[in-house]
Amino acid sequence: MILKRRQIFPIIGFAPALLWRQRAQAADPAGFVRQVGDQLIGVINGPGAMADKRAQIRQIIDRFVDVDGIGRFCLGRFWRLATPQQRQDYLALFHQVLVTSISGHLGEYKGVRYTLGRVSPHDDTVWVDTTIFRPNNPQADVQWVIASVDGGQKIEDLVVEGTSLRLTQRSDYAGFLQHNGDNVQALIDAMRRTLTKASEG
Amino acid sequence: MSRWLSPVALLLALPLLAALLAACAPRPPADDKEALADYRQTNDPLEPTNRFFYKVNDQLDAVTLKPAAEAYRYVLPDGARESVHNMLVNLNDPTVFFNDVVEAEPRRAGDTLMRFLINSTLGIGGFFDVAKHWGYPNHDADFGMTLGLYGVPPGPYLFIPILGPSNPRDLAGFGVDIADWPFTWMVNGTTVYALEWAYYGLNAVDVRSRVLDSLDQVQKTALDPYATIRSLYRQRRESQIEAIRNDHRATVPAWFPAPATQAE
Repeated sequence: MILKRRQIFPIIGFAPALLWRQRAQAADPAGFVRQVGDQLIGVINGPGAMADKRAQIRQIIDRFVDVDGIGRFCLGRFWRLATPQQRQDYLALFHQVLVTSISGHLGEYKGVRYTLGRVSPHDDTVWVDTTIFRPNNPQADVQWVIASVDGGQKIEDLVVEGTSLRLTQRSDYAGFLQHNGDNVQALIDAMRRTLTKASEG
Repeated sequence: MSRWLSPVALLLALPLLAALLAACAPRPPADDKEALADYRQTNDPLEPTNRFFYKVNDQLDAVTLKPAAEAYRYVLPDGARESVHNMLVNLNDPTVFFNDVVEAEPRRAGDTLMRFLINSTLGIGGFFDVAKHWGYPNHDADFGMTLGLYGVPPGPYLFIPILGPSNPRDLAGFGVDIADWPFTWMVNGTTVYALEWAYYGLNAVDVRSRVLDSLDQVQKTALDPYATIRSLYRQRRESQIEAIRNDHRATVPAWFPAPATQAE
């Protein structure tokens, strides 16, 4: 079929608009945070036992958070010292640590809500400001650090009242390793013990 | 009552006690470059002493401040606790104002002045934060931050008995803020002492009650709570100073009539 000029122009004119739309969707950090936030809050405020909620929170985290990247960052220079088996054990435990941490920060607060604020670029990441309201607690400013990982958007860090979750976690592990002869296996065992304790209590 | 029994004197004596008991952390060997870099970054040469005081503080807290804060949260509803918090914030506003001025931040100083005037009167002694809704939001300022803004480095980490995490810069700032708080200089008298103690006591309970859940979380999940709190304290202070640095709001408020653009 041969298109007449009259018919081609609208197509050409429309193409950039289509492309632009796709790009806007791919890089809409506020929309991304709203999507993740609404899902998390839906689980937290919804019915069900804490164990079920944890499983659902775990699904959301595995899908939207760069857990392996954060895990490697938190181990710092000890990542290179770890054996392949230790790396694998560590990352598997780290997934659970993040779930426990997020559930601990939010999970027990039925009635939690949040508001979205400013979106600002920071180096190669985008920060989305939110304010979180938890019953019985003062409101907290939380920034979501969004990075592009493998073409998609992933959460790389949460900055709670100016304190980075992953930086704090890294200091925690560094402190522990310093007092346990830089032994990565001791860290893995301690992570396992703490997780067992947390799931019991 | 002797002036030596005032809360101010006691709080200032604590760092001296800490200095007397100081012990040093072993420095890693020079050939272990990464360990040495960690050591420098942690900047905690007094770590053994700090850890000792952290432990003492933690055990004291568990039987004093923590149960008090829990009881406080149990007895008073959200709104009432918020009002008490507002009142305490309002009492501290003269210090915030002093620091805003020294920081050469006129917009922030204006906010604080308006907050103190509005909340002390219409807010009934500060119990209600009316000013917040009128466009004068609350912000932090203390002399430690002011020094930080002028480029003074924090220095090595310190854990002070009762006061908690600090560093030489913030500790010096704490001392200056006691001096620039007008209520410190009120005429001597038993009532004033009692009120001072009540203020410091209530402030401690208020602050503790606001971090009950967060600190519980740290103590439950951290492998090294001491190192976690050290990191949290540093990051928090740095972000507070950064917030002042990034406050680029115009000094002229929106309601002020704009100057004529062009004379005919």
